[in-house]
Amino acid sequence: MILTFPHMGNLYLAGKILLDALKIEYIIPPLSNKKSLEIGSSISPEEMCLPFKIMMGNYIQSIQQGADTILLVSSCGPCRFGEYSELQMRLLKKAGYSVKFILADLPDQLKSNDHICGLDALFNETSLSKPQITKAVLRGIRAMNIIDHLESKAHLYAGYEINRGESKKLLKNALSTAYSIDDPHGALAILNEYKTKMNHIQIDNNKSPLKIAIIGEIYTVIDSFSNLNIEEKLMDYGVSSSRKLTPSWWIKDSLLKLIKLNGIDVKRFSKDYLSYWVGGHGRECVAEAVMAHEEKYHGAIQIFPVGCMPEVVSKSILPSISRDKDFPIMSLVVDEMTGEAGYTTRIEAFLDLLERRNASCTI
Amino acid sequence: MIVGLPKGLYYYKYHKFIEKFLDNLHISYLTSPNTNKNILNEGIRTCVDEACLPIKIFHGHVSYLRDKCDLILTPRIMKASDGEYICPKFCGLPEMIINSIPELTTITSSPLYLNDKKKIYKWCEKVGKLAGKTPSLIKESFEDALKYHANEKQGLDDEKGFSLKIALLGHLYTVYDNHLNMDVINKLHALDAGVITEECVKMIHIKSAIENLVKKPFWSNMIGTLGSGVHLAQNNLVDGIVFLSSFQCGIDSVSIDIMKDMIEDFPMLVLKLDEHSGQAGMDTRLEAFIDMLKRRKLIDLDISTHG
Repeated sequence: MILTFPHMGNLYLAGKILLDALKIEYIIPPLSNKKSLEIGSSISPEEMCLPFKIMMGNYIQSIQQGADTILLVSSCGPCRFGEYSELQMRLLKKAGYSVKFILADLPDQLKSNDHICGLDALFNETSLSKPQITKAVLRGIRAMNIIDHLESKAHLYAGYEINRGESKKLLKNALSTAYSIDDPHGALAILNEYKTKMNHIQIDNNKSPLKIAIIGEIYTVIDSFSNLNIEEKLMDYGVSSSRKLTPSWWIKDSLLKLIKLNGIDVKRFSKDYLSYWVGGHGRECVAEAVMAHEEKYHGAIQIFPVGCMPEVVSKSILPSISRDKDFPIMSLVVDEMTGEAGYTTRIEAFLDLLERRNASCTI
Repeated sequence: MIVGLPKGLYYYKYHKFIEKFLDNLHISYLTSPNTNKNILNEGIRTCVDEACLPIKIFHGHVSYLRDKCDLILTPRIMKASDGEYICPKFCGLPEMIINSIPELTTITSSPLYLNDKKKIYKWCEKVGKLAGKTPSLIKESFEDALKYHANEKQGLDDEKGFSLKIALLGHLYTVYDNHLNMDVINKLHALDAGVITEECVKMIHIKSAIENLVKKPFWSNMIGTLGSGVHLAQNNLVDGIVFLSSFQCGIDSVSIDIMKDMIEDFPMLVLKLDEHSGQAGMDTRLEAFIDMLKRRKLIDLDISTHG
């Protein structure tokens, strides 16, 4: 079995550390790029959402390198993500690729056959004992937490750092150095080392940069290819940004959901605007917009793929929040046709607007 | 008090029930007219751009009713049956309306779980109480309306008189809204094709048709259309399938492709509906599809001329 998994931001690094520890053979698809999107769109339904198409591209690029098993997480609706597995399996088969799927899903939702199996198949593949597997999984989760921490710190410090571009460089170095090491312990040590370095970046607390919250659909906000590197662009402009949705948040949320304790602050902040769960992360998006206003951010940018059902609901609510609280929010819709220039222009215009709102009136 | 009933979305399935219920309670109600150009334009103007056409049309109906009644029923349908969801937009429908349409009268925003009779009753009780009716009368009217609804025949099945039979699939609010689908049912009738809709397929057939899916589908709409389509196609009960789908419908983007995969080369026409659809293009495609089905029947051999 040669395992592969779709990309989502920097999650591949945590996946690599986990699979290295489990001693399972794997192939990491090339970082999502124009080519993978092109391959993905060519065999996906036209109106499917962007993450689906990018994932399809990832699979096929991995399969071409020899992968024969795909690891995928699944959900049980009401958003389209829950149906990904069924459709992706059929489409890959139709396109002539014979692969097996390992799905992390609730057990009663799946009917196992030759092509699809539960998460236990992954652990059967390793020669490790149960405690060792637990340790490996925990190490993977720890790596993911550190990566998320590094990202969020780098995005925050971008506005405050004394040497422009230092945090961005540090983040890039951390990712590439950790990726080059095949020993899971070593990789984790490197990440830890960079965590300390990141915490000791020289910052100027007297600066008052623009602060922007990135909200919206979880895949498109996390995956830098699908949102055309918005966070990196903001870092280049010297703008501090933050987002609440991260892979580690998602894991925490999913675990808390089992005991129905998830999203306590989401419920609190969204109660004036949306008091029910609408699937996906629509309610989170509304709550984060309100939260960003209370935390004195200057503005928020919502990103979602075309046709995302839950985000359409939140997009219709955001103008009211913006009006009620005098808080600028911009919505960016991404799909395979998004052009970089138009996209950048809109971000720049939005930043200009925020800057001018900050400056005192000269007349 | 006048209650407004917007003629969109699940109105087409449950209007008999709610009308009977309100009649029993002696509450007067006002139904918005059939979808027309003005309502469509009003919906497009008020609704968020990214939403699908049925949602936009629903906004148009609510806008039409907003200054004509005291309460508009905008059900927040969370679930249609056990363990199944419907489109996420329905769960946020009242919010979408409140935040898009200005100067609105009261609208209903409590959740409605159609899988649980008690919860449906709770919802109806709230409506009745708003009009100042007594609990005993509400209970009585509710039971009566439920019985009435259960006896109503749903769906469309043209038994005889047509040379072809078409399975007309899609969400019920696209199938029965004649403006939205440009009168497709009458157009098919004019082309000598009878129509059968998913309500006329028995639930056991639907369930058995989708048994082979690896992942249990969780949308009621998808189970209905996919199951009935596959059942009708695999048993050759129809000559072809016409699938009505609104542009940007998330559920259809999944179910159409799974259906295509399951029915293989059974004839199927997918009609995408949006606010820009033109009548002529629609007619041409329907005619071409029906012509193809007729020739297929005539030749009686499913072999293409190219070998």
